[in-house]
Amino acid sequence: MPKQIYDVLIVGSGHSGGMAAGVLTQKGLRVLMLNAGPVPDLEKDRVFKPTHELPYRGFGNPNAHLDHVFQANEFNANTWVNEKEVPYSHAPDAPYNWVRVRLLGGRSLFWARQSFRLSDFEFKAANYPGGAGDNWPISLADLDPYYSRVEQQFRVVGRKEGWPQFPDGNFTAGVEGTDSECQKRMTAVANKMGIPVSRMRAALGDNGLASSLNLSIPGALATGKLDIVPNAVVREVTVDKNTGRATGVHFLDRHTRREMHASARVVILAAGTLESTRLLLNSGIANSSGLIGHYLIDQLYGCTVVAAMPEARDGKANPALIGGGLFMPRFRNLGKDEKRNFRGGYCLPMGTGSTPDAKYFPEYGPALQKKLDSYAGACITGGIYGEVLPRYENHVRINKSQQDAWGIPTLHIEARYGENERNLCKDAADTMEELYKACGFEILVKSDKVNPPGYSIHELGTCRMGDDPKKSVLNKWNQSHDIKNLLVVDGSAFVTGGWQNPTMTILALSMRASEHLAEEMGKGNL
Amino acid sequence: MQRRRFVQAVTTAAAAAGTISAQQAPAPAKITTIAPEAAADPTVRFFTAAQFATLKSLSALLQPAANGRPGAIEAGAAEFLDFLIGASPKPRQTLYRSGLDHLDTESRRLFKKPFTEITADQADKILRPLLVPWTFDPPSNPHQRFLADVRADVRTATQNSKEMSQVAATANRRRRGPGGPAPYWLPIDPTR
Repeated sequence: MPKQIYDVLIVGSGHSGGMAAGVLTQKGLRVLMLNAGPVPDLEKDRVFKPTHELPYRGFGNPNAHLDHVFQANEFNANTWVNEKEVPYSHAPDAPYNWVRVRLLGGRSLFWARQSFRLSDFEFKAANYPGGAGDNWPISLADLDPYYSRVEQQFRVVGRKEGWPQFPDGNFTAGVEGTDSECQKRMTAVANKMGIPVSRMRAALGDNGLASSLNLSIPGALATGKLDIVPNAVVREVTVDKNTGRATGVHFLDRHTRREMHASARVVILAAGTLESTRLLLNSGIANSSGLIGHYLIDQLYGCTVVAAMPEARDGKANPALIGGGLFMPRFRNLGKDEKRNFRGGYCLPMGTGSTPDAKYFPEYGPALQKKLDSYAGACITGGIYGEVLPRYENHVRINKSQQDAWGIPTLHIEARYGENERNLCKDAADTMEELYKACGFEILVKSDKVNPPGYSIHELGTCRMGDDPKKSVLNKWNQSHDIKNLLVVDGSAFVTGGWQNPTMTILALSMRASEHLAEEMGKGNL
Repeated sequence: MQRRRFVQAVTTAAAAAGTISAQQAPAPAKITTIAPEAAADPTVRFFTAAQFATLKSLSALLQPAANGRPGAIEAGAAEFLDFLIGASPKPRQTLYRSGLDHLDTESRRLFKKPFTEITADQADKILRPLLVPWTFDPPSNPHQRFLADVRADVRTATQNSKEMSQVAATANRRRRGPGGPAPYWLPIDPTR
């Protein structure tokens, strides 16, 4: 007999795992959380330092720097997964930026806190001529009450607009400043072009941190029902051959490599999209559909268009003239008669009042400084968060010829953007250029290129949910079609990715799945 | 000696020893240290003498001191880049070495002098054709790529230097952006 049999075992401690632990312990269930890395202490593990005190003056150790993790720098170099310990592979011509954190709290410690709901343009994409993908088995109405509670917990601020492609949330009251002249002009011109303009929606969290480490896990621990084992690298989900039910997981101690088995009535995977999928593939379970690993999606980040407001140049920039951000939610492929050479949509997040990067000017020395002084505070920067089509061929699989430091086979990632994404980006860059020119701005830089897949750190799909077990991995409650006491509550379940930061949706799905799970366990159905 | 008295004697002696020891122990001194840069000069180890001289001249052109702010020379940017590039992967080392050699070769071809001895106007005739407008992907021409990289690296090494930080401190303004203070993550205790 196992030493202990927990009600629920959760693999992972980020947003989705933390939410599941919070919900389930509040319902009185005994939960074990396994996390592959250590517990950070935000007071002791971080110190303020000027860049010149760092060994490499902020460049980072050139031999340890993660070039493909664009968010990595010398200040946070100790937080990312050591890729020599946990490598992954991709085709040489198809780079993938897989960004991982194994500290307790995972990537929820570092997200940008941009907080959006998906709309039915994403949940029911197949119902729209320009929709990007298949329908989810749920709609916005199904998730609405969970979004509301998550938004309250995370203290999301935003402006209510009433636009169907940009669903309003349960917002915390925030303070909005007065619009600058630049913001007013851009809004007026954008509206004439049929582009809606709002403001960024963001989670305030607590003291600027909106992580499972401070918002979910402490409450779960306070119930006395949660046990956390750090440095537990999970290798396999175990299944009873007779009943077909999940029984727990095998894990290895990160330091000693000693293997242990933890037992539970229900197993929840919340290790992040690709780690949960890797665990399922390595376990060889729950894949009667053959779809685990397929339909990998993320979001397009890039498309740089930078302009300057002539009136703000040469020292004339001031807060009344220029400054503040604008957020233009999706405006393409919303109408039934709209004809575009791409499906899906994108948003335009924009900032005003910045100084351009020196790299944008082909100058050096005093001439370069003169340019920078002239354009200081006078610039407008725009980029996109764009939708990526879910494609069967974009997938991950186990690389049998490579193992990580614990002897666990690694992941091979095959993800490419296609013509749809290229056309979408071109439309976005052209639209920004048109907008800037109509505002009377000087275009400094225009590029319709985007960063490689994975850059947004919004990897989604690979265990898509659906009603048909032959066409999906999970049901609408994030349960495996094949193994009812196995759930996957992170971004793996997504059917379409949308253009929206997926965190609020991941949290709402995890909350919904966990409450349903507790209910079913209470009824004795699991 | 009876057992009780023996134990008492030993205990008393030990306590007295502890008291004396504690009284005699000096208060723990605060040990202060300084950074190596404050006490010593960097050794140039990676570039050849000619390459380093070219890099130093180039850095002065790219990022001169101005308006009370230190330039690349004052910030020791070339010395720092000798260390950084020397610790970098081979492709980056090759890009730098061939880029510096190219500048010197061009200088000797056009002006019969090493790059370190030509005027700023003469240097501009070599550098200007290598400056290209920004594109998302770096230039495919290795010499153009080198100039784009070294331009950014010299600038960053200067902005992030202690010398620049001291100027900002003197001006009594909190630095933001490059070079300013930020939360640094220490290695996380692996046993927690």
